[in-house]
Amino acid sequence: MAARGPEKTVGDIFRSMEFGPATPSSRAAAQAWLEHRSHSLGLFIGGEFVRPADGQTSVVTDAAGGSVCSTACAGDEDVAAAVAAASGAFKVWSGLTCPRRARVLQRLGDGLQRHSQCLAELCEMTRCPCPASALVRLAQYYAGWAQLRDAVLPGWSPLGVVAVLVSDDRSLFAAFLKVFPALAVGNAVVLKPGAGTAPPALLMAAIFGEAGLPAGVFNIVTGPGVSLGVRLAQTPDVNYVTYSGSKKEAELLVRETAGSCAPVSLSLLTDAICPFIVFDSADVDSAVDAVMEAVFGKARECHWVLCVQESIWEGLAARLKVRIAGAKCLPLRSESDRHAVNAAVQEAQQQGAEVIQPCPAPSSSSLYPPTVLLGVAPSCPSVVSPPPGPILPVLSFRTATEGVTLGNHTPHGLAASVWTEDLTLALETARSLSVGSVWLNSHSVLDPSLTVSGVKESGNCTDGGREGLFQFLRPSVAPARSPSSPLPLDYGRFGTTGSGVLLPQAVGGADASRAPRSYPQLVGGRQCAADSGCSLQVLAPGGSVIALCPSSGRKDVRNAVEAALKVQPGWAASSVPWRSRTLRSLAESLERRGGDVAVALSAQTGCSKEEACREVELSVFRLSEWAAHCETRAGGGGAQALPQSGMALCLPEPLGVIGAVLPDAKPLLSLISLLGAAVAAGNAVVMVPSEKSPLPALEFVQVLQASDVPGGVVSIVSGHRDQLTRALANHSVVQAVWYCGGQEGAQYLQWACGESPKRLWVRSEDSLWERCEAALLEELWAQAVRWKSVWIPTA
Amino acid sequence: MGSWCPCREQAYSFKYPSHLEWVSRVRVNHQAVLRRAQQIQGRKQGKNQWQAAWLLRAVTCIDLTTLAGDDTPSNVHRLCMKAMQPIRHDLLESMDMQDKGITTAAVCVYPARVTDAVKSLKLANFSLPVASVATGFPAGQTAMKTRLEEVRMAVEDGATEVDIVINRMLALTGQWEALYQEIRQFREACGEAHMKTIMAVGELGNFTNVYKASLVAMMAGSDFIKTSTGKESVNATFPVAIVMVRAIRNFFLRTGHKVGFKPAGGIRTAKDSLVWLTLMKEELGDEWLNPSLFRLGASTLLADIERQIYHYVTGRYAAYHELPLA
Repeated sequence: MAARGPEKTVGDIFRSMEFGPATPSSRAAAQAWLEHRSHSLGLFIGGEFVRPADGQTSVVTDAAGGSVCSTACAGDEDVAAAVAAASGAFKVWSGLTCPRRARVLQRLGDGLQRHSQCLAELCEMTRCPCPASALVRLAQYYAGWAQLRDAVLPGWSPLGVVAVLVSDDRSLFAAFLKVFPALAVGNAVVLKPGAGTAPPALLMAAIFGEAGLPAGVFNIVTGPGVSLGVRLAQTPDVNYVTYSGSKKEAELLVRETAGSCAPVSLSLLTDAICPFIVFDSADVDSAVDAVMEAVFGKARECHWVLCVQESIWEGLAARLKVRIAGAKCLPLRSESDRHAVNAAVQEAQQQGAEVIQPCPAPSSSSLYPPTVLLGVAPSCPSVVSPPPGPILPVLSFRTATEGVTLGNHTPHGLAASVWTEDLTLALETARSLSVGSVWLNSHSVLDPSLTVSGVKESGNCTDGGREGLFQFLRPSVAPARSPSSPLPLDYGRFGTTGSGVLLPQAVGGADASRAPRSYPQLVGGRQCAADSGCSLQVLAPGGSVIALCPSSGRKDVRNAVEAALKVQPGWAASSVPWRSRTLRSLAESLERRGGDVAVALSAQTGCSKEEACREVELSVFRLSEWAAHCETRAGGGGAQALPQSGMALCLPEPLGVIGAVLPDAKPLLSLISLLGAAVAAGNAVVMVPSEKSPLPALEFVQVLQASDVPGGVVSIVSGHRDQLTRALANHSVVQAVWYCGGQEGAQYLQWACGESPKRLWVRSEDSLWERCEAALLEELWAQAVRWKSVWIPTA
Repeated sequence: MGSWCPCREQAYSFKYPSHLEWVSRVRVNHQAVLRRAQQIQGRKQGKNQWQAAWLLRAVTCIDLTTLAGDDTPSNVHRLCMKAMQPIRHDLLESMDMQDKGITTAAVCVYPARVTDAVKSLKLANFSLPVASVATGFPAGQTAMKTRLEEVRMAVEDGATEVDIVINRMLALTGQWEALYQEIRQFREACGEAHMKTIMAVGELGNFTNVYKASLVAMMAGSDFIKTSTGKESVNATFPVAIVMVRAIRNFFLRTGHKVGFKPAGGIRTAKDSLVWLTLMKEELGDEWLNPSLFRLGASTLLADIERQIYHYVTGRYAAYHELPLA
């Protein structure tokens, strides 16, 4: 103040009516804690703060560039120690009763409340603001699940050690959105926070200890970059890895850890592009206030693109101009971002956009004026790859349908804000947007009670609510994952050579009537041969050739996916009772033709007639189960009250097109189990029958053709497994791959999913297809749907 | 009289045709408005001299009001004296504000007390607008003829500002054109006097009606729109104010004409008055921080503001008897 010249008098202010200077918020509590830790934070392993083995540190700075404290850089030994501590503590923690775990989390909630001031100050200092109340809510909510796990989710067990990796730009909330549910259901956690979130995360660890969490259940390793995350994920005892951050880092993580580590799930929230859609039936003033808050407010977590219906364009633009005129310049993440932001603004201007700024951009300093780009083209770089700065591109649309198209036309699927007072339009729009969260007449609100899945490039993870817990659980009957080490695999060549493509025709000798039958496959509802025209021999267990099956390749998969893409939206939109009826008709059809299928089964696998009949019977039963599941579950759980006033809908939605690679064992039952799950949820599925025993699946084609299942919803493509796996992995339309094959294929899929995140579900060959456990069906169902939550706040 | 009031001249000449399609397009989302109001209320207020200066500005925007059945010439006289000298002179002196013309914006009384107020101010040789409520205040449930007559009488008696109440029946039944015509007649009856139109927001049912009624009142030539009479169960709340100032902004964007805003009823604390000023500054800009475009209808607010200023100047809290009565 004093440096800015003479003190302002009452008279001056009375005339100018300016706002008073912002009083700097107190930092006393956070400083005291840092002081207590001598401004040098270690790692948190086995319930205590420890120094890293090699003593390396890095400095965390505040907004002014001053040093807040130093954090440790964990080395390999530290990572191993943290995972070892976690696996030891897992036995203790998972052995506790549910109420005991719940009590710890409740105490934790109270502890967070007590230390909320210190936590908030520390977050503020390290530039990763996170309201402490949100963390308290997380703790309390998951204390509820800890209490109820066995009552609500019988037949599920915790995974073991969960690694939570968070990139530098994610908030503390993003990290603990994973940590709390993992702990609540009985896992031990090793967290790698971002650079800025490390100090508050370490403070959290201390609060965890105070609440009575057994030592080692929650550990923190800190250090720069993604390499620490990779090392952590590669540690053999880690059973599940969840990453929250940017796509680039995720790709690196996935590629580096393919084959060596536990399943990796990704929440790629960084730099997501989210549509902010304002219809002509909206409260335009409120929408403008909200967009100003979302785009130019404190927490800027994603890039908003404002889509405005043409009929209210003028009014909205005028209000935006009024608002922008009074706005202050905002800090850029770093000085170097200025160039990118400037370039994007200029580019937009050249393409005819009107630039609105309260003042021209200063040529230096790390501040940038809030900038609205009115009337940019959807192809403009400021829309497609927005620079990291306070920029709001504004597009117009004519009709509601066009608005939705515009909103969906990004590779991201994180969230959307929709503004209209028309309830029907609001809900229709909410349904058609392919995003995880839809905020009606609101924005950027989060709550752990709502289930949200990432769509498209925003990840393959489902968080929140009951469904969000499954990622941290396994069915108790399924064996725990055993550590594996990566195979030497040439990713470039995997599945490119169809080994032994040969067609010896003279098998049956001179007797043409005994020549093996040539089966067609099913692509897009039509029975056909492979695109290449080649066939493969199907051998009986004795080695004799019993049939010929198409030897398909990339093009057949492509055709099947194209057909599936065409028919899937209609299938998903068809009513739940109709889908259920169709599945029942398929079950009946299988029952009628059960004889043929059983013959094929026993010919293929060499099992006895009775065994084959039993598998067919079980398959019919499984299909009926899925029909029932569809009838009762596919509609979602209905509306849910919000902690604030209003309500929300959690809707299960189909993923789209799923690829399924079937196991050698139980060729029919496995096919039916996966097909049922996929189709009941409204997906289309491209199935690759086992290379060794495709005959039952090919025989099943006739059953499918005789049922009411629309052509294209199920395709069955036979051929070399690796080739077809590769084709599925490299088709971006395929949203999920279910793989029951060898380790090589699984490793390839993990590697390939780095590029476009698919939901990957890998099971070893000898899965428990015959068990009728509820948890097994639940597990498949969780893989077949993704969840959208629609917020409907009311007064 | 009232030469500081720039919108005076444009006021009377301003007549706008009724644009009912503006009214029919109005949409207000209740929860979003509440959220915005919370945001504004949550904004940190300035301290020390900022607080004092803003409070003094609030004083200059007060319509110091007495609207009670037991009003007599003597308490109206006291009110006028307080309006002329709202803050103790020595307090103003210590802030060097004694010559800045710190008075309230007006005094506001019932029609029957207008002559008393005018007389008191004339005796003191002080020029301060006298506002009168009219048109069957507070319910407005009297014949149009008597309501019009009431306005004319008040103006004749020397009121330079008239606070009229709208006919809630017309608003609640959606007869916007009829409401427009009624307010137009009041406008004619006001002549050169300032017209403030009271929406009685507590009786309009929802925010959408408040917004629509505000637009109609502005189209019909109101100089100010005012929240409430102070006699309904719900008075001036921040959310409802957000709705009304948005209507003002909308009207300004469409016509270029600036209409003032007057919250009234239930405004009692100095802190509240700071939030009101913040709301005006954030939503409409600095121009709406002047008595020409912003008024606070209040009776007890001034006492609290004076106490706060006393605290700023002396560092102590005053006992009530240390500050002059209104």
